[in-house]
Amino acid sequence: MTAPRPPLLSVRDLCVSYGAIKAVKKVSLDVFAGEIVSVIGANGAGKSTLMNAIMGDVRRESGDIFLDGKPLARRSFQVVAQGLSLSPEGRKVFAPLTVMENLMMGAFPRRDRHAIDDDLKRVFTLFPRLEERRQQYAGTLSGGEQQMLAIGRALMSRPRVLLLDEPSLGLAPIIIKEIFRELKLINEQGTTILLVEQNARQALLLSHRAYVLQTGNLLKEGLSSDLLQDPDIEAAYLGGGHKKP
Amino acid sequence: MGTFIQQIINGLSLGSVYALIAVGYSLVYSILLFSNFAHGGFLVIGGYICYYTLNLMGTNIWVAGFAALVGAGFCAVLTERLAYKPIRERTSVTLYLLIASMGMSIVIENIFVIVAGGRFRALPPVIPTTPVDLFGLATTSAFDLLSLVAAVVFLGGLQLFLTRTKWGLAIRAAAYDLRVAGLMGVNVGRLISIVFFVAGLLAAVGGIFLSVRYTLYPQLGMITIKAFVAAVIGGLGSLPGAVVGSLILGLAEMLTAGFLSSQLRDLVVFSLLVITLIVRPSGLFGKDIKEKV
Ligand SMILES: Nc1ncnc2c1ncn2[C@@H]1O[C@H](COP(=O)(O)OP(=O)(O)O)[C@@H](O)[C@H]1O
Ligand SMILES: [Mg+2]
Repeated sequence: MTAPRPPLLSVRDLCVSYGAIKAVKKVSLDVFAGEIVSVIGANGAGKSTLMNAIMGDVRRESGDIFLDGKPLARRSFQVVAQGLSLSPEGRKVFAPLTVMENLMMGAFPRRDRHAIDDDLKRVFTLFPRLEERRQQYAGTLSGGEQQMLAIGRALMSRPRVLLLDEPSLGLAPIIIKEIFRELKLINEQGTTILLVEQNARQALLLSHRAYVLQTGNLLKEGLSSDLLQDPDIEAAYLGGGHKKP
Repeated sequence: MGTFIQQIINGLSLGSVYALIAVGYSLVYSILLFSNFAHGGFLVIGGYICYYTLNLMGTNIWVAGFAALVGAGFCAVLTERLAYKPIRERTSVTLYLLIASMGMSIVIENIFVIVAGGRFRALPPVIPTTPVDLFGLATTSAFDLLSLVAAVVFLGGLQLFLTRTKWGLAIRAAAYDLRVAGLMGVNVGRLISIVFFVAGLLAAVGGIFLSVRYTLYPQLGMITIKAFVAAVIGGLGSLPGAVVGSLILGLAEMLTAGFLSSQLRDLVVFSLLVITLIVRPSGLFGKDIKEKV
């Protein structure tokens, strides 16, 4: 995992502020091709800000971001064209559009009709429930289905790195298990994943490496399996080691 | 009976012109969430381009109409770039956009007062106004039928654009959530330009028909107030709402004029607005204000 090769996505000394509030302070992280990397942290730690700043949706104050060694663009549509896509916090599916239309929005910048069809098949194989509901309005889906749609929609741009902001938010444990199983599969099929989560246990169980974010600062990083055993992490994020999925 | 049918047709005809204006206004509202008070200016720009193209260049109505539609579309895009974009990029408070649009409305009106003068101008008789007999039931004018047909064609075209094309899909997505549309890889600046172009173009179609109906003058854009009322009655931001609201308004005006008194038209229009705001503040097709899960 730590062979000396260049990272696919590299964030260097990123700072982001909302007026006087410093939400992300000098954060640096690397995501290597093929990895699942998670960033765990409590509510308000700056996880969404980090993701939105990478996507160009929130303005960076300072710092650099590189994709495959090249500087990442600063406007969302250019970032997507360069190969990142985000499943945003709270799913944010287009409620008045159908499942199919939502997925087509995910493929908006693409012109390769046939490859789009292949990706559509891939999404429907991962989430068969979406195929059954392809003509249904996204607003009428259950929370879990909306999350599947948000992930599927992000996959439709065929991203080099898939960014996921709290895919477990507000979902029943059984649905979380199902979604995380598909995320593992998506990664095994070759998609690199950067995941931010409050649900530290699920995130650490899924990811290869992880970073811990606390009030905008990176506190720790390491192999997810090590962090799962770390007593500090256990006390702060895993509820003392027992119960709570 | 004859008068009734005649007034219904006149009402639909007037309502269809309101619809062309209200739909563009509503489209802009659905994306940027502000009332663009310069919308009436786009209509006036369309009217004057048509007038001057006909008179100075002696072209036929098709060429003049095309120039008016494209010209008004570009002026709408220009208005957005000059007056709204700088504000959009600095703040998300839409009140500033509203105020800027009031300013742009005054600017556009006065450009025409200076350049064209304040007087009323009649378009050359390019759109026939001959009486048409409707199966012996009533008589109406070819003009009313033509404006109805034009509205159906352009609104149908808009519907096709919104439902059959990629940018149409993106506009519908952006109407729900502009930020997330941007995250999907949509160039939001370009999307907004397209929306303004379409709004300006549709307003120009309305402007040409209104110039023939009433004459052309720099304050003709004031009539957009009626289209705003129609859009509010139908539900702000809803395109079907804008069309239905416009037809209701056109019918109400013409039936009032035909059976009560022409002077009561505006009273009826604004009474309808007040009743809507009391009974159903979000309008006929308006979305409930409550947030989704
Ligand atoms: N749009 C915003 N305007 C002002 N402050 C914000 C905004 N979004 C987030 N914040 C603040 O930035 C900090 C980090 O928020 P966020 O990135 O949403 O954290 P997380 O996703 O980890 O819960 C919080 O203190 C939050 O209140
Ligand atoms: Mg968050």
